[in-house]
This record gives sequence, structure tokens and C-alpha cells, in this order.
Amino acid sequence: MLGRRGTLPLLVGPPLVWLALLFVAPLILIVAFSLRPESGVVNAADPWNPSLVQYGKVLGTPAFLRLLGVSALMALGIAVAATMLAYPLAYFLAFRARTRATLFLALLLVPFAASYLLRIMAWKLVLGPAGAVNSLLSSAGLISEPLDLLLYSRGAVVITLVYVWIPFAALPILASLQRIERSQLEAAADLGAGPWTRFRRVTLPLSLPGTLAAFFMVFIPTIGEYVTPTLIGGTGGIMYGNLIQDFFGRAGNWPLGAALAMVMLILTVVGVLIALRAVDLRRVAP
Amino acid sequence: MTVRSTGRLRGGGSAIGVGRTRVPLGTFYVAVLALLYLPITILFVFSFSANSRLSFPLEGFTFDQYAGVLADPSLLGAARNSLMVAAAAATAATVLGTLVAIASMRFRFRGRTALLGLAVLPLIVPFAVMGVAIFLLLVSLGIPKSLLTVAMGHTVIALPYATLIVLARISGLDPALEDAAMDLGASYPMALRKVVLPLMGTALIASWLTSFVVSFDEVALAVFLVGGEPTFPVMLYGRLRFGGQLPELIAMAVLLMLATVGLTLLALRLRRSPG
Amino acid sequence: MPAHNRIRTLFALSAATVLLLAACKGAEPQNLLVLEWSGYEAEDFWTDFKTANADAPVTFEFGISDADILAKMEAGSQADLFHFYSGWQQFYVDGGLVQEIDTSKLTNWDKVPDSFKEQGQVNGKQYFLPWDWGFSSILYNTDEVPEVTSWDALLNADYADHISMWNDGPAAVTVSSYIHGWDETTITADQLAQIEQEWIAQKPLNAFYWSGEYEDLCPAVQDGTVWVAYAWQGCYAAALYEGVPVAYADPAEGRNSWIGFYGISSKSDSYELALKFLDAKLADLTMSNVVNLFYYGAANQDVMNAIEDEVLIEAFGINDPSILENTNFTPPVTADQRSAWTEMWARVQAE
Repeated sequence: MLGRRGTLPLLVGPPLVWLALLFVAPLILIVAFSLRPESGVVNAADPWNPSLVQYGKVLGTPAFLRLLGVSALMALGIAVAATMLAYPLAYFLAFRARTRATLFLALLLVPFAASYLLRIMAWKLVLGPAGAVNSLLSSAGLISEPLDLLLYSRGAVVITLVYVWIPFAALPILASLQRIERSQLEAAADLGAGPWTRFRRVTLPLSLPGTLAAFFMVFIPTIGEYVTPTLIGGTGGIMYGNLIQDFFGRAGNWPLGAALAMVMLILTVVGVLIALRAVDLRRVAP
Repeated sequence: MTVRSTGRLRGGGSAIGVGRTRVPLGTFYVAVLALLYLPITILFVFSFSANSRLSFPLEGFTFDQYAGVLADPSLLGAARNSLMVAAAAATAATVLGTLVAIASMRFRFRGRTALLGLAVLPLIVPFAVMGVAIFLLLVSLGIPKSLLTVAMGHTVIALPYATLIVLARISGLDPALEDAAMDLGASYPMALRKVVLPLMGTALIASWLTSFVVSFDEVALAVFLVGGEPTFPVMLYGRLRFGGQLPELIAMAVLLMLATVGLTLLALRLRRSPG
Repeated sequence: MPAHNRIRTLFALSAATVLLLAACKGAEPQNLLVLEWSGYEAEDFWTDFKTANADAPVTFEFGISDADILAKMEAGSQADLFHFYSGWQQFYVDGGLVQEIDTSKLTNWDKVPDSFKEQGQVNGKQYFLPWDWGFSSILYNTDEVPEVTSWDALLNADYADHISMWNDGPAAVTVSSYIHGWDETTITADQLAQIEQEWIAQKPLNAFYWSGEYEDLCPAVQDGTVWVAYAWQGCYAAALYEGVPVAYADPAEGRNSWIGFYGISSKSDSYELALKFLDAKLADLTMSNVVNLFYYGAANQDVMNAIEDEVLIEAFGINDPSILENTNFTPPVTADQRSAWTEMWARVQAE
């Protein structure tokens, strides 16, 4: 009969094998490409002479680094906004919806089953100069000319990404809110704490792991985002991910594209590790 | 001091004052829902019009697009492929994510943080990069591309979401429950199966749904890994290159969304909350 | 039903669904693999082959640009056939990626004009089959913009926020070379630096850079967001059909023209079948679909001569031979030049 110790390999084995084959191995290939000095299309059979030429190009082009910085800041803002807006949603699902939480949650996620591309096309209708938002604002007399910043701008990208991420950010927050036992809140109430104090002293700290998870879940992939900027970012909303996509895809320049991706990856990992140190993991995980 | 139940909040029963704050949470939920469904509604409306592009005014009311969709085997085939791939990827990601979550929360072993980090790392790698990398791997190993390879790739990118969601839930589960089960004679796997998993029910469903959604609409990775049979987003991406195809594509997207709703409701029926 | 049983049922159900759907699909043998551009996998564009060879399935791999397609072929793609556009022929030959096409076996070969055939030859050998072609020029809204006579309209501040340039570095360099009268094949570092500064200055004048012709550009031209754009004739035809007041410029420097080619991979072991595929690609119905559904030119001259639709005649400039006389064709450039131009454009994007 399998005890705790014996079960561990069963738990760790499958994920490890899967990740090794389908993630680590491809990642090694990417690193290998980033060390190739050739620019442009490379024949896989060509000899591999590792060099840091591509990294030199990336780190030596101020415009690229500035764009990475801007993208990281945008991602930070988007993650904070999405997490803050997702929290009340998760709270509603955990404490108000209760038995129907799963249904209400599912309702939030279902729109994502419709094609993102088509949804953005429809969203453009809402944001555009002839769209609902501008019509509303101009008929209310608040603006005389259609607002440009709602579409084809950095602002449009930020608004859209926050909007898209809110339901996803709510998930880990919900998961950790649901583990809060009524008895803990009851005890606080018995000790004389009002609703706001109960929230501040009991609910909020206990939901911190989920909230942090939500933040990182949004922040990390958003740095490398390129689809939304391409669709509605115009020229002002271009992000670092567009550079990677341009070199990897359009230009077939896998070495430089790989180096760009690796720089972003390394900096993000370092950044996250530093942030996690600051948060002190021990308060968050047993 | 009065004696009150120590049941989980999900279990129903009266509020103890938690719900008494005056924050209009319900209104907020409805507002977010309305915003989310606004583009869907627009698409729904346009799917019944004869417009060739998304602009007002609407021209006519017709079921032609839906008829066209149902008569188009390649479109239906692509939709079916997407559903299959997403279901497979969601299941695999949830299973693997749960394994990782349990292993990192209940055990101390060397490399614990590394495993967790690795499971979450795919979040950082842009899909286009993953696509090329896995494509190269498949080419060098001589593995032909197919829907299976797409599902495998999607599992990797959905894994971080699945892991994080299950992790957040497990971190609040009292380990004493498993110990109690084992004291009663259960093996550890059985303790997991009969005690831990049921308690995580909602998290597992949330993880499955999220992974499904991540895979279903994914195109950047799928374009690299798809073989003879395209998934719906890949086909959509191709068909959008023609102007006249838009109405039918919108009709298909609406149908797919309704199918997902149906699937979700079915899943929820199976998991009725404990009374 | 107890909770854990329900969960088990849920997973079993989803697994069963996957297997059921997989069974419905059935096994399909792989036959011809074509490395194509998204959209061309539609049956309309190989319908003659499909009709004649219903039991030979064709599957598709996708590329998003000429460079991407070359990269995939170089990386060892198993594709039997690949599709790319002017300027890249030499790379495939140099890389040993392509084998000669036996044109004696093509029944439709005579319908292709000689000038097109030549473009598909390298070192006198017919390596490539011309298939589709078109123009690049400036598409503009005649209500908002007076007649455009030069490529520099794309950099004109008068149209700020209403310009849309194609998101492509080599194209930007081409446009600049036309404007300045420079030779594309001999652009110096100084000239490239000047080009970079000009496009950095141009960047804020764009509403957006477009990547997808029909997804991004056409709707914006049709709803009036974009007044001046670098465009292929496809959007011109689409806008004309919608009744939008547009014109397609005949700039003093001349339009640009490009041809799409198919090549047979040197690794392919389905040579005969690939030849049949190519022959069917040139057939009348398939090529008419390219013209009528996609608004691109066909290499089949019979099909071009049979066009009667006024919009298409206008879009292809069929009635105006002076256009072709003034048209520039994309010359082949070296890989290094292309990389330099792409990196230049990336810096413009990042600014």
C-alpha cells in the first residue's frame, strides 16, 4: 500500500516528463538559436558557432530596451488594474453567489470561447469614431469630436487588455477566497470586529496568495503580448512582443528573435524572483 | 458564545454579517458581465444580417449565414477539431497541474520550487517562440504534425493556469484531513482521491474551463503545429483574408460559443454542489 | 451522486467525447503537403486538382511571410510544394531546396506569358511556376485626397492620422528608393540611415501599420479611417465593389509589381503528383477563382483576357498598357541587405 513517500514519484513523474519533452527541450533549441551569429534565415544544418552577437544587438539598441521597459510598465499597470477590478468580482462569487458561484464563474468565462479576433473586431465598432462610446459621449455633449485615444493607441491597448484579463484574474483570487472558513470570520465577529475590519484583518490577508497569483498570471504574459497591439494599438501601442513576432515570424530571423525573447524571459524571471523575495513566500505558502 | 457551524462558506446557510457590507458587488458583477457580452451581442446581431463587414447600418435579416455554416463541412470540421483539441488539452493540463500542485504543497523535496517554477514558466515564453521551437523539435524528431501535436502544445501553455488555480485552492486545505484518512487505513493515493479531490471540485472545474478556453481560441501556436486538419482559429485566420467570408465566420463563432455554453452547463449539472 | 464520483464522471465524459470525435474523423493518409499562405488552402484555389484527384488528399502547412516560408524550408519542412513571392528565387536554388519543373508535362503551360515564365527561371532552368501576381501602389480616398502622383504621399503630413503603411521593412526601403531615385540593390549604409529617419518621422502620421490586407486595411479604407495607404490591388477592387470613392495611383516613379511562385521541394518524393497539382493550379477554373474571389492577377493569360467585370478591369489596369511600362519589378536582394532592412524597420517600430 502506497504511503506518502511512495506516492511522490507518481505525482512528480508525469508533469516532469511532459515539461521536459515539450517545454525544456524546445526552450534549449531557442537558446541555441539565440547564440547563432547569422542574421536572417538560417539553415538548421549549418554548423553551430555559438556567439553573443545577437544579444549584443539587442542590448546595444536603445530603442529595443526602451520598448521593453515601456511594455513592462504597461504590463504592470494592466496587471494591477485587472487584479484590483477582479477582486470584487471574486469576492462576489465567493461570498454572495455561494452555491451558484460555479455557474456565475462559467458565465464570465464563456465569452472567451468566441474568437478573440472577431470579438476585437466587434469591440472596434464600440470604440471607433462612429461607435457607441463616442456617440454616447457626443450626444451627452461631453465631447465635440470623437475621442482618438480609444482606438489605435497605447490607451486602447491598456483598456482592452485590462478588460480581457479581469475574468481570468478572478479565478485564483476566488480559489483562495473559498478556502476561508466561516469559523474564522465568526470568531472575528464574536471578538467585536465590524465587516470592514473583518475584511481587512481576516479575508484580505488570507486571500493574498490568490491575489498575488492573479497579479503574476496577468503581468507575465502581458509583457510579451502582441496580438492586441497589432489589432488596435496603432503605431503608438506597439509592444516588445511585436518585435519578437516581427523577427521570428515576418523576417524569419530566428537567431535575433530568439535573443529578443530570451532577454525578455531572463529579465522577467529575475524580476519575478526579486518580487517574490520581497513578498516573503513563507507567509504565502505553508 | 453561541455555537455556530464550521461548514465551508460554500455550503449555504445564513450569512454571519459577511454579506452586510453596502458595496454593490452584485451590480459590479452584472456590469462586468454586460461589458464582456457586449461584443458577443454585436456579433450575434451581425450574424443575422446580410452585412459583408462589421459596420452599421444593418442590412436585412437572414438565416443564410447559419445555413451556410451547416452546409460547410470544412468549417464544421475545423470547429470539431478545436473542441477536441481544447477538451484534450484541458484535461491533460488539469491533471498535470493538480499533480504539480499536490506535490509542491504537500511534500518537501529538493527541486520543489524548480518544479513549480517550470510549470508556470510557459507563461513567459511568447507563443510564437514556443511554436517555432516545438516545430523544430518535431521536424528534427521526424514526428508529423497533427491535432495531437497541437493538443500537446496547448497543454504546455495551459499548464500554468491550471497549476496556479489548483495551487491557490490546495494551499488552504488542511493536511490533517489526509492524515485522518490514512489513519483510517487508506493509502495515500486513495486519501487524495477520496478526500482531497472532492474538496477541490470547484477549483478543478475552474482549471478545466480556463485551460479549455486558453486552447480553444489559440492561433499563434496552433499555426505551427497543425497538420492536415486545421483548428477553427487557424481556419478563421485564413478565411478572414477574404472579405466575403466574414458573415459565415461570425455565425460559426456564435454557434461555437453556444456549444461551449452547452458543454459548461452539462459539466455543471454533473457537479451539483453538496447540499 | 457523491462528489468524487461526479468528478470522475466528468473526466470520463470528456475523455469519451474526445475519443468519439476522433473516431468520427477517421484516419486520413497524408499525401501532398503544401507550405502555403493562410487563405490559399481554401478548396477554391486548387479545385481543379481536387476534382480530378479526389482520392489524393492535400494538406497544408502555413507560413506568414516569404522569409518565414524560406526559414521553414531551410529548417527541414516536409512540404512537397511551397509558395513565395518575387525576389526570393535565388535563395531556394542556392540552398538546394528546389528541383526543376518538367514543363513538358504541364498541359496549361502555354497559357503563361513568356515574361512570367522567365521570372521563374534561375540559371536558365525553370525552377518555379508563376501563379498569382499583382501591383503595389498607393490606394487613396478621392473625397479626402487630391490626385496622388508620387510615392511620397505616404509620408505627407497633410494626411496625418489617416495614412497606413504596410508593416514591412523591405517595402519601406523600396518606397524610399523610388522617391529618392536610388537603386534598391545598392543601398548604402548612409542611405539606409536617412531612410530610417524618414520613416521614424512618418510613424506618427499612420493610423496604424497594416499586416493583413483584408482584415486590417480594407475595412479601414472602407469606413474612412484610412485615406492613403500602401496597398495591393485587392483592397482597391474590394473598395470599388463597396462603392467607396477610391483611386489607385500611377505614381511618377512607377508602381511596383510582384509575382507569386510555386516550387517543388528537392526532398519531395511525390514529384509526379506535385506536377499534376501545379498543372491543375494553372487551370482555368482555379485561376478564375483567384481573380474573382481574391482579386489577384492570374498567370493564365486566357483567364486574364476573359475578364469582363469593370471593377477588375480597372483594378488590374487592363485597359491601360502605360501602367505596365512604368512598373518596377522587385529585384532580388541579398540576405544581408534584407536583414539590414528588417532591423532598420524594427528600430522604427520600437521608437
